Amino acid sequence: MKLYPRRVTRRHFLTGSAAALAGVSIVPRRVLGAPEVPPSETLGGALIGVGGRGPGTWSEMSKGHKVVKLAECDVKWLSQADNKTRYTDFRHVLERKDIDVVAIATPPHWHALISIAAMQAGKDVLCEKPMTRFIAEGRAVINAAKRYGRIYQVGTFGRFSASKDPKNILNRKIMKSGLLKNCEAVIIKRGGLKVKEWSGLVNAKPHPVPPNLDWDMYCGPCPMKDFHPHRIGGTHRGYWDYEGGGLCDMGQHYLDPFTWTWGKDHTAPVEIEASAPPAHPEACGMWGWVELKYADGFTLVFDSNEWGPLYSRKQYRGLKLEDLDEESQKKVQAMPDEPPLLTFAEAVKTRQPAGGNAEVAHRTVTILHLANIAIRVGRKIKFDPDKEVIVGDEEANRLVNVPMRAPWHL
Amino acid sequence: MADSKPNVAALVAQMPDTDQQQKNPNDPNAVKTASKVTGPDPQEAQKAFAAILDGGRETILELIGALRDPSDADFRDYKAGYVLHGVCLLAGLPGKDDQRKVLAEAMASQLKSGTQSAAAKRILIRQLQVAGGKESIAAIGECLADESLSESAVQALMAIRDGVAEPLRKLLGKAGGRSLVAIAQALGELRDSESLPALRKMLAGGETDARRCAAVALTNLADVESADAILKFASSATGWERSHATDLCFVMAEKLAAAGQKDKAAAIYTQLRDTRKDKAERHISEAATRGLAALK
Repeated sequence: MKLYPRRVTRRHFLTGSAAALAGVSIVPRRVLGAPEVPPSETLGGALIGVGGRGPGTWSEMSKGHKVVKLAECDVKWLSQADNKTRYTDFRHVLERKDIDVVAIATPPHWHALISIAAMQAGKDVLCEKPMTRFIAEGRAVINAAKRYGRIYQVGTFGRFSASKDPKNILNRKIMKSGLLKNCEAVIIKRGGLKVKEWSGLVNAKPHPVPPNLDWDMYCGPCPMKDFHPHRIGGTHRGYWDYEGGGLCDMGQHYLDPFTWTWGKDHTAPVEIEASAPPAHPEACGMWGWVELKYADGFTLVFDSNEWGPLYSRKQYRGLKLEDLDEESQKKVQAMPDEPPLLTFAEAVKTRQPAGGNAEVAHRTVTILHLANIAIRVGRKIKFDPDKEVIVGDEEANRLVNVPMRAPWHL
Repeated sequence: MADSKPNVAALVAQMPDTDQQQKNPNDPNAVKTASKVTGPDPQEAQKAFAAILDGGRETILELIGALRDPSDADFRDYKAGYVLHGVCLLAGLPGKDDQRKVLAEAMASQLKSGTQSAAAKRILIRQLQVAGGKESIAAIGECLADESLSESAVQALMAIRDGVAEPLRKLLGKAGGRSLVAIAQALGELRDSESLPALRKMLAGGETDARRCAAVALTNLADVESADAILKFASSATGWERSHATDLCFVMAEKLAAAGQKDKAAAIYTQLRDTRKDKAERHISEAATRGLAALK
């Protein structure tokens, strides 16, 4: 059993670094000791999780500044890793002093732990969505970003364009003003959540582990299960161990502009109810709709359009300035526009939070986790957005902070 | 309790077949034809789950007898495991605690069974992670010493949380390898102060894995007596282990500060600020400086 990585010898480290640096002559910004990144500076980067969304996540991280890829890491490279430019264990990558920024595109059960470890090692992080596998992980990522003053950006960017739309800006101002006495808004997202596509298999017999795959490392903080090819390579989305089905896969894309527009970046729904067949313990499955209510009366509905009757409890209703009394309307109209959201590159340069920083990304993905918990337990749940616990339902609350397989821990 | 014993096999069989049956599980391409399930009618399924739960211990045991893991040679389909999970969720509803206890006890009783495979027992432990309570702790605790079950057992106990420290503590001096790491970390997360002497001994011991997990646990326990040792552990570490252990120092300082021991927290921050001079660790000295400022 390999609990922790083999020690990288100084000789090995230097060889690896020298090899990596041979092709590109850069001096890492932290070695230079620069307080901010000058526009002309080249950053050392690493990509952890190269399949599927790997290239796309790397590309997003590289936008707006110069980043040279010095290392890649993937658990399926057991026979290909040289611990110079190709790794199987992300911890070896994070040990390198010449890496400033890390793109993480592993399956989601690793997102939080690698993000945290990277920030502990002084790296800035762009992490593929969904941000986390369960709610408590998000708070731990936020704490790490704050503790070390690191930049975190989640790998979905809908809020950047949403925040430039005058209609969205007005909606946000109305919600953030606190002047709306009784919020009757109902936002319905129908379809596009790939529920069947990203559901899991329920009769899958174990397969031999492929020789190049470090299956123990792949499972990481999750329960060690028998290998099946459907548990890796994109279809991992169909298993509660690794993700949360199509809802978690597609939901953060949809909700990233939603939480900005409706001013829900610092809170969470308080009542969540789902219509779904009983959930399978291992495989994400089908569901019809999920209704999520906020404390202010605002309602968000996901309707899968893939199972059962369509959601019909409420109709879509947006917000209008006229929902406010005259005096409140004037106050909202007088509210200044917020400064533009910072891209990852801008945030790295200025050391100010990115537009999709850990706090807002966490509040966004929390909506999806709550929806999935309601689907999984099959009953209405109540959530305390401040304490981040489910109230009065011990079984459901066990899904807020899922025990990790040692030695991994938050 | 129902008047007549329900037909468990029929209730299980009424769950729907998968959408597309796996034609040949040994075929490497079987993944393409393996199965997803649309799910049963929720009301009909709930009636089946209720019939089994209302049927009491013997009915539940009959269901457990039909349970197979996919790795078991005689595994037929997902249905029995799915029904058991449905029964566990139903038992979690408010007002059903007496039935939940019967269910949990029935599942726990099978953990010693000679007829269940280790894989099937792991399914039962995972279901106890869902529906188990205080009444399940002793039975799950007995699985901690079984290498094939210990990992699942620790996770189930950590989900139950309340009252689980004792069986974990009993094994702290006996377990080894990954089990020891899991148990030590769990006791730290449970803030089990009775484990402090054993954890301190582990931290002082020579074996690196044991020292590392003891440091994690003692940090969670905010054990001020161990603060210096954890700082030393972090200072002497290299590579990834160094940043991981350094983070424990920060967590320790934050916990001590929150507990009103600001001087102890300040000592940790000061040492981190003053000793992390390598430019690659500038984020550490900066974080320590911020920590010190926040204490004022």
